[in-house]
Amino acid sequence: MEYILKNGIVYDPTNKIDGEKKDVLFKDGKIVDSVSNDAKVIDVTDKLVMAAGVDPHSHIAGPKLVVGRLYRPEDSRRGIVPKKGVTRAETGFSVPSCPATGYRYSRMGYGTVVEAAMPPLEAKHTHEEINAIPNIDVAPLPLFGNNWFILEYAKENKIDDLAAFISYWLRLVKGYGIKLVNPCGGEAWGWGMNVHGLDDPAPYFDVTSREVITALSKANEKLGLPHSIHLHPNDLGHPGNSRTTIESMKLIKDIAKNSAVRDQTVHMTHIQYHSYGGTNWRDFVSNAPDVADFINKNDYVTCDVGQITLDETTTMTADGPMEFDLHQLNGLKWANKDIELETASGIVPFIYSGRNSVHSVQWAIGLEMFLLINNPWQVFLTTDSPNAGPFIRYPRVISWLMSNKRRTEMIENREVHKAVEKKSALATIDREYDFNEIATISRSAPARAYGFTDRGHLGIGAKADIAVYNIKPNEIDPSLEYEAIEKHFGLAAYTIKDGEVLVKDGEVVKVVPSHTIWTNVKGLESQENAVIDSIMPAFNKYYTIKFENYKVHDNYIPNPIEVKVKAGQAAK
Amino acid sequence: MKIITFNQKKTSTIGLEFDELIPDEIFQWEEKDFQKYEIPIGNSRFPLKDYFDVDVVGSAESPSDVKIILNGDLTRIKYIGTKMSTGEIVANSSVDLHCGSEMSGGEITVNGNAESYAGREMTGGILTIKGNTREFCGASYIGDWRGMSGGTIMIHGSAGKQLGECLTGGEIYVKGNCDILAGIHMTKGFIQIDGDVTRWPGGQMQGGNIIINGKLSRLLEGFVDPEIITNPEIEGKQITGKYIKYVGDIARNGKGNLYLDADKNRNFL
Repeated sequence: MEYILKNGIVYDPTNKIDGEKKDVLFKDGKIVDSVSNDAKVIDVTDKLVMAAGVDPHSHIAGPKLVVGRLYRPEDSRRGIVPKKGVTRAETGFSVPSCPATGYRYSRMGYGTVVEAAMPPLEAKHTHEEINAIPNIDVAPLPLFGNNWFILEYAKENKIDDLAAFISYWLRLVKGYGIKLVNPCGGEAWGWGMNVHGLDDPAPYFDVTSREVITALSKANEKLGLPHSIHLHPNDLGHPGNSRTTIESMKLIKDIAKNSAVRDQTVHMTHIQYHSYGGTNWRDFVSNAPDVADFINKNDYVTCDVGQITLDETTTMTADGPMEFDLHQLNGLKWANKDIELETASGIVPFIYSGRNSVHSVQWAIGLEMFLLINNPWQVFLTTDSPNAGPFIRYPRVISWLMSNKRRTEMIENREVHKAVEKKSALATIDREYDFNEIATISRSAPARAYGFTDRGHLGIGAKADIAVYNIKPNEIDPSLEYEAIEKHFGLAAYTIKDGEVLVKDGEVVKVVPSHTIWTNVKGLESQENAVIDSIMPAFNKYYTIKFENYKVHDNYIPNPIEVKVKAGQAAK
Repeated sequence: MKIITFNQKKTSTIGLEFDELIPDEIFQWEEKDFQKYEIPIGNSRFPLKDYFDVDVVGSAESPSDVKIILNGDLTRIKYIGTKMSTGEIVANSSVDLHCGSEMSGGEITVNGNAESYAGREMTGGILTIKGNTREFCGASYIGDWRGMSGGTIMIHGSAGKQLGECLTGGEIYVKGNCDILAGIHMTKGFIQIDGDVTRWPGGQMQGGNIIINGKLSRLLEGFVDPEIITNPEIEGKQITGKYIKYVGDIARNGKGNLYLDADKNRNFL
């Protein structure tokens, strides 16, 4: 099928198209430079056209989502939408049902989402959930930062063995890249403890976060994976943690990049939670300027923000000790789980309120990070959904970024606590994002950071993943019309995925199966076999399941997108 | 004032869901609108006119001008007055589940018994039950830690288990007896029970006040520091009588107050 999206105002930062009125042509699911006279014309005259959104960090599939739904039935009561047309019924606000997740991303004009924390032991179930989510492609990141075998390799600095282990494990669990969560802290939580900073050793293993981050980054570059290490640093949510954050980024400075499809060697996730000053919650202040300054001076770093949206939400993370801290802080119910040799996890409901000084300053820190990082290719739009707020709030965050007036109103009208003025610099920042920058932080830059060369842009040969919004960029003033910005970014005029119209006028009109994006590293087969032979005695001794039952078989990913990488050669 | 009277024609074995028929939604409806309306029953909708004749008398400029009267056997009518914010509903029979749940204002009178979940998570208004009610009256829905937070529930008969569970505000009065765990997990609010109470009122309560004017069979160990007080003033209300006052539940570092009629419960001293 051939289409012409006619006369839209196109923003495609990857291809340096900044608000040009032009046609976008696509055929058989790809962007093309010409179509026949039979092509169907979709008139989008003067409307905003971008590549479909790419969410670089969200929690949408896996066991923690299931636990979240099970123990928060009160959340499932919110966001109920009856079945309509092609869609099934939707439930949930911060932890939506699987179909609702796909529909809601689709309505916002998104086409790709990275599931940011997949415990390898629970990978089968994560893939089952991905299969239940329609309309978006999903790349899951396996958790490696507290894996027993990896802790051993890192301690002994066996980078070759570590690379072979990662290579094999990505294939085994059909994962995309390397995720670290509170390295060594998750293991310490198995002993009822946590680690603080980079040099606090994990119990028994006697290895530090500094060693684990460095080793995994070296292994990542040795393999030439399409994404860099994806780091949730230590000390999340602790006052004064910006020091750990900056030290963590410095660790990677001298590690050479081995990839042509990305610019960074470390991706720092939900940086808002890691940019705190002070020593306790009383003297807690923003240290966003320091963290942003470091990122501005170091182009090997990218980050996503994890913007607080001031909602009642559900926090869920592999950072088990942090969740326990949170539970002690708010006294609300708490779910906790230990994933055998691999990771911890926890879930706690949380109510972010504009009346609370700490929550308000957290809100300000997120916006400071967006506004103080000069290069939009280094900072991506996320709410660490659902931790800082559900992903359906992205349009609201966009409206905050595009309107200094709205931010000022919120501060002056006391929609947020007055502490924002005293403990952050937000009120002094008048920068406003333009549509090109919004396109950068929500599609082009995340796609680049993940090495997704086939999406996040509208160049010839790219997937025809396109979003059209009922916004006329040449007529609207986003600074004044922030409500319209939020409304229209929330309900796309068209969402096109692989050349098919999935959303029209904000309604899902077609439901298609999701694809699973995973990385297959080739070229280390003999080293992998040697590594597996060496770990098998420990695997059989400590895991509660047989190795034969651990693997994610092909039938778990009926719609794979396999990214092939030749070990040691830069991915192109 | 607009008076809308529903006279039942036939009953259903599956519950009819009345939550769309509240003053907020139907204050401008005329008889022809009710003729067209289809009511949810299970996973389907059926014509309301098959089940009720509806008479409309008078007019209303706002939902607060509406009084709804329900006549017939209402024991399979669920969600009466759910989420209503104003106006009045009178049910002249016993009613099914969820009566007055999540209501934020207005007044509901049930001239009979109310099944479980009456007044759950209500935030305002007045719910009067002239008969008995069963479990989870004024409580939270499953999973939530915030139950009724405002308004008043008046029960002329007895109440079932976990009355006012997770209560965070508002007042509940029970003239009859009450089953176990009244006020469990409550953090604020006021419960007064004039009859006997089975067991463990106030379990894990962290705040608020419970008054029991009847006999309590078993008290939780988390209620401590008993003292005899006379004619206490509680939340601005002058209560007459001699009470044993406990503080608890210390299992949750609670600072709630439990008042037991001193004469009927002297076995706890």
